[in-house]
Amino acid sequence: MLKTGIPKLDDFMGGEVPPGRSLVYYVQPGVEGDVFGMQTLYHHLMQGGKGIYVTISSAPYTVREHFNEFGWDVGKFEDRFIIVDAYSALVGADSDERYVVSDPENIGALDETLSKAMEELGSGLVVFEPLSTLMDLCGEEETLEYVKKWKKLHMTYNNVFVCNFTAWPYAEETLKQIKEELFDAVVTIGGIAERVIFGQYFGVSKVDWAEVKKRSMLFKVFRPTGIRVYIPKILVTGAYHSGKSTFIHAISSRAVSVDRLGTTVAMDHGRIDHKGFAADIFGTPGQERFDPILKVLGGEAMGVFLVLDSSKPMDFVRAKQMLETARAHGLPYVIVANKQDLPDALSVDELRERMKVPKSVPIVPTVATEKKGVFEAFETLIDMITEVK
Amino acid sequence: MEYHLGIPKLDKVQGGLNIMLIGPPMCGKEIFVNNIVHAGLMNGEGIILVSTREHGEGVLKWFEQSELDIEKDRERFGIVDCVSRTLGMDVSDTQNIKRASSPVDLTGIGVKISQFFEQFYMRARIQKTRLIINSLSTMLMYSNLQTIFRFLHVFTGRIKVADAIGIYVIESGMHDEQTIATLKQLVDGMIEIKEENDRFFIRARGLGSKLTEWLEYEIEGANIVIKGD
Ligand SMILES: Nc1nc2c(ncn2[C@@H]2O[C@H](COP(=O)(O)OP(=O)(O)OP(=O)(O)O)[C@@H](O)[C@H]2O)c(=O)[nH]1
Ligand SMILES: [Mg+2]
Repeated sequence: MLKTGIPKLDDFMGGEVPPGRSLVYYVQPGVEGDVFGMQTLYHHLMQGGKGIYVTISSAPYTVREHFNEFGWDVGKFEDRFIIVDAYSALVGADSDERYVVSDPENIGALDETLSKAMEELGSGLVVFEPLSTLMDLCGEEETLEYVKKWKKLHMTYNNVFVCNFTAWPYAEETLKQIKEELFDAVVTIGGIAERVIFGQYFGVSKVDWAEVKKRSMLFKVFRPTGIRVYIPKILVTGAYHSGKSTFIHAISSRAVSVDRLGTTVAMDHGRIDHKGFAADIFGTPGQERFDPILKVLGGEAMGVFLVLDSSKPMDFVRAKQMLETARAHGLPYVIVANKQDLPDALSVDELRERMKVPKSVPIVPTVATEKKGVFEAFETLIDMITEVK
Repeated sequence: MEYHLGIPKLDKVQGGLNIMLIGPPMCGKEIFVNNIVHAGLMNGEGIILVSTREHGEGVLKWFEQSELDIEKDRERFGIVDCVSRTLGMDVSDTQNIKRASSPVDLTGIGVKISQFFEQFYMRARIQKTRLIINSLSTMLMYSNLQTIFRFLHVFTGRIKVADAIGIYVIESGMHDEQTIATLKQLVDGMIEIKEENDRFFIRARGLGSKLTEWLEYEIEGANIVIKGD
């Protein structure tokens, strides 16, 4: 069983990729999709698996360096990791690899070298990077024929076969084959464009072994660490002095606040990086005179934290009012029951009772000053934001 | 939107245009390219140069040696260096040089072009961008015509959407007519250079400029001088 190691993607595909199956990362040109195959391979190696990486447009040392950019040292797996070099001969360069394709423009030669490498390795993961370059070199139809052949071969070896494919404007029939027919699973990776591509997303468009969960996730690629599901905007709201700024700082790897005399006058901003998720989190000022800012910030948010000082029941009315001001209804939100360390703090059940919060809204107890409970609150909200309905 | 190319007599072109710059070897095409880069930088634009013949540092050095000061404009100058990695040079990316794996790595080149577009337009809020590919001829040594056609098809489309301009350099005399004719389908206009008896001439087609007749020019240092002006 193989996991891609890409946050949320495994969930969308029924938990894992079964042996003998094939997966294509179908990438819109210009979008950073090559990392998907690399991350899948590295994750598999880290889990103790074996892997082959077929490089078609980069020298093997460039491939290793590219892995290193993400902090992924594939050198430590040399006993169960093979690079099949289908590049060097193309530019007339020497190669130190054990598996070198003598004539990369001849797909039969690649097939031969790959078969030998698979024989040595036994069952594992085979990643092609990128299949489109192979198509450019050897022709569309020929490549498709060989993909069919390799699929069968991988089934007998119980390999998982993963291809990165850049969707240049090939013949429509070719694209259709790749996108709908040849592979057992298709993950589409695209860009959100308006004059330029400014956001990237992935989503599953086909899975043969499980029910397809059609849901797209924004992502960003970080160096080091790789692909993170990206939540562009989470809002933190709550009454004066409830601990919003403290909460944001506790949960963020970087954060800035604009405070004067101990109260926030503009806003807080933090960047969270936790368990495969990256999020930008924005705090609102607690004082009523800043409510107009709140309205502006409330637009386009993907989720909301409402921070309460659990020891101050008289603030709860104000807190509920702020939630409404932020027009957050309809958005997923989590109530953060902060300052649980104070002696007169109300428990989660008492709070739920007092504020008449329905059971469907989670209340997470925290002590922001000690970073207690803050990541539980984050994970709860992330689950709600990324949940497949 | 209007763009100034920095070539005398051929000054203004409209945004959204894709232009092929075609000429024989040794006619000073590099100087044209560098002048186009320089004019863009001086206008406050973002520049994306895909360099297949000179590595990134080499491109920057030319400006230094020509005493064209681009130091303060550097952050708007993005170079996609297709040379260093191919030669096995042990260099990493810098603020304005991103290295592609090789000239075959069209996927990687495409990603880097898009990243510079995003960086200039979304993050630096620069409205105008010019993309220069120097040169298609080198790319055609590694990939076949169809492949380059598909690649260019995608990026000429992006140029239109972004209201940017694209300039694609190609050697005349190095490719068959069909290759040139095929790629021509993707561009709106041409800047043509020819050589006759050791004299160089330039003209433009389809750019809406006055320079439609052959005019003689000379290269003086880093400058292009139209004769009889
Ligand atoms: N005991 C305790 N004190 C806390 C906790 N969280 C925050 N505080 C304290 O509460 C005070 C207010 O915290 P802030 O984070 O500034 O609150 P805020 O909601 O950003 O305040 P405004 O921006 O002024 O609305 C500070 O003195 C914090 O140290 C907690 O969990 N327990
Ligand atoms: Mg605050």
